Amino acid sequence: MPDDVMKPEKSGSPCERCTRRGAFTKIGVGSMAIAGAGSAVFGYEFLSPNVLYEPSPIVDAGKPDRYPPDSVTADVQNGIYIVHASQGIYTLSAVCTHLGCLTAWKPELGIIACPCHGSKFHPDGVKIEGPAPRPLPWLKTWVNDDGNLMIDRSEPIEREEFVRI
Amino acid sequence: MARISDDLAGLRNTRAWRSVFRGGSGDSNLHRSLAVQQNVFLHLASVKVRRRALDFGVTWYLGTLSLGCFFILVVTGILLRLYYHPSVPQAYADMKDLQFVVSAGVFLRNLHRWSAHAMVLLVFAHMFKVFYRGAYRPPREFNWVVGVVLLMVTLFLSYTGYLLPWDQLAFWAITVGSNILSAVPVMGAKIRFLILGGHTVNANALLRFYVLHCVILPLIAVLFLAIHFWRIRKDGGLHIGVDDGGETDE
Amino acid sequence: MSEPKDFTASLDTDSRRTPVRVAFVTRRTSPQVQARYDTHVMTWPEVLLRAAVAVEALLLGLVLLSLFWDAPLEGLADPMQTPNPAKAPWYFLGLQELLHYFPPVVGGVLIPTMVVLALIVIPYFGINIESEGFWIKNREKKIRGLAIVVAALAAFLAWFEVYAVLVPTLLIAGVMFAAASESRKWLHAKPLSFWVMSWFLTAAIVLTVIGTFFRGAGWAWVWPWGAA
Repeated sequence: MPDDVMKPEKSGSPCERCTRRGAFTKIGVGSMAIAGAGSAVFGYEFLSPNVLYEPSPIVDAGKPDRYPPDSVTADVQNGIYIVHASQGIYTLSAVCTHLGCLTAWKPELGIIACPCHGSKFHPDGVKIEGPAPRPLPWLKTWVNDDGNLMIDRSEPIEREEFVRI
Repeated sequence: MARISDDLAGLRNTRAWRSVFRGGSGDSNLHRSLAVQQNVFLHLASVKVRRRALDFGVTWYLGTLSLGCFFILVVTGILLRLYYHPSVPQAYADMKDLQFVVSAGVFLRNLHRWSAHAMVLLVFAHMFKVFYRGAYRPPREFNWVVGVVLLMVTLFLSYTGYLLPWDQLAFWAITVGSNILSAVPVMGAKIRFLILGGHTVNANALLRFYVLHCVILPLIAVLFLAIHFWRIRKDGGLHIGVDDGGETDE
Repeated sequence: MSEPKDFTASLDTDSRRTPVRVAFVTRRTSPQVQARYDTHVMTWPEVLLRAAVAVEALLLGLVLLSLFWDAPLEGLADPMQTPNPAKAPWYFLGLQELLHYFPPVVGGVLIPTMVVLALIVIPYFGINIESEGFWIKNREKKIRGLAIVVAALAAFLAWFEVYAVLVPTLLIAGVMFAAASESRKWLHAKPLSFWVMSWFLTAAIVLTVIGTFFRGAGWAWVWPWGAA
């Protein structure tokens, strides 16, 4: 009678699942886990689009003398303000830092105002009032080889930097 | 008109009829039981219920009405899809088509929109009614959780559907909503990118919301509705209990 | 029969410990049934026909609404022009009003997540299972405790100027204190879970109503009847 074949545990035996069934279970579950993890990774990669039909973040704003001194020019299409202050030219993002609405330049009041929840900003981006958590970010501005003003909207810059012309 | 009912009775006795309706028709309790128990769509329900479950004051029929609203939304939604292209800016042109060109387009769109608002209202009311009459208490705890999941699905269905007309209202409501999503710490921007399929609300976002609204979320809703009704059955039917004030039955 | 054990009889509304229906038979008495056995009716036709009537009434109402009131449709989506005000659908306006008081992380992520989690765990917390009236026991102690909690909450809300939630809080607290007197039988016996949910419901309704009717351009306060 194959009694000792039926009994999985012998005295001194190290593991409970050192049977064929245990081994196959481990292999089966393990490979399903690996397949699951792989599917998750491939699924995430599939859902993340690799090609975006969106306009380039780099904006060509033309010759700097289009922007007279002490002026704030709102470029609605690109969502930026090009400001020519006494220290030089700089660019602000026009997207409100609260929830992404497009702000508007109010020349008669000399402020930038957001219509959604009433945030107001100075022309240097600093907040006057409202629920916006941060000031309007400054964007990287430079003059390229053709002498055109270029703005990169993808990343805000830390300090105040002016383009002197 | 005895002849007509005779003919109908004759019809019901044919082999063809009885091959379809095996339970037969009649007024006995046996026939009524079979009508529910042998029916693929109805046999999720029990054959008998307690009489008090029928009282209007117990549930205000809110669960039933929510389900009815869901059916109206599915039917009108499918019909609207026949004239809708989820692309930019074609989607808006299709809305105008529905308004001016499609027969009963205005009516169907209105019905879908108002049923959507009614659905959100009914589902919230249903939740509060269930809470106030204590129908979430053991053994019904898990069904309450399933109900909360259904509430979330309802709100997401409403939110994804809101973008589809591609008008100013739609675009900016979803822009603000997705920006709130990016406020989630650590993963917020990534989640927003995945849901929109891009950095801003554009053609990719419309298509993803369309698939979510018309396929993924309805499937999830149907799955959880099935669980919801099954649990009612398994938990012993609708809760008709003592008053919340700790008073017992008189 | 040997001497029966001493039993203590009590009423318990905690359904985790006690079944709902118990027949308690003592010596030389007959069992007194407190709840009658429910009669049963057939699902078809009783339930299904009533459900059909209810859904038909709903359909009738919605069809009438759809025939006479058009769903709104504004101009084509324009990423370069934000409408003023940009409002969410009505069931999110309460949330949008909350965003007016708190930063997006708190008002947009934290509070909604906490609300959903709180809803989910309701049936797993003892406070919601026991349906004993709040004021039945320890009345004096509870009056003092409630006053402290309400004062702390009101101070927090006043500090952040969240009047939309402060007013419902004071309202519900007022009704709660009024319910402490036994003369108001129905309210007196309500459990704590009733009060907490009613507070939440009232605050949610007030926030939604404000967001719908009392907010205009720039999310500024407006009177819905158009007064300056």
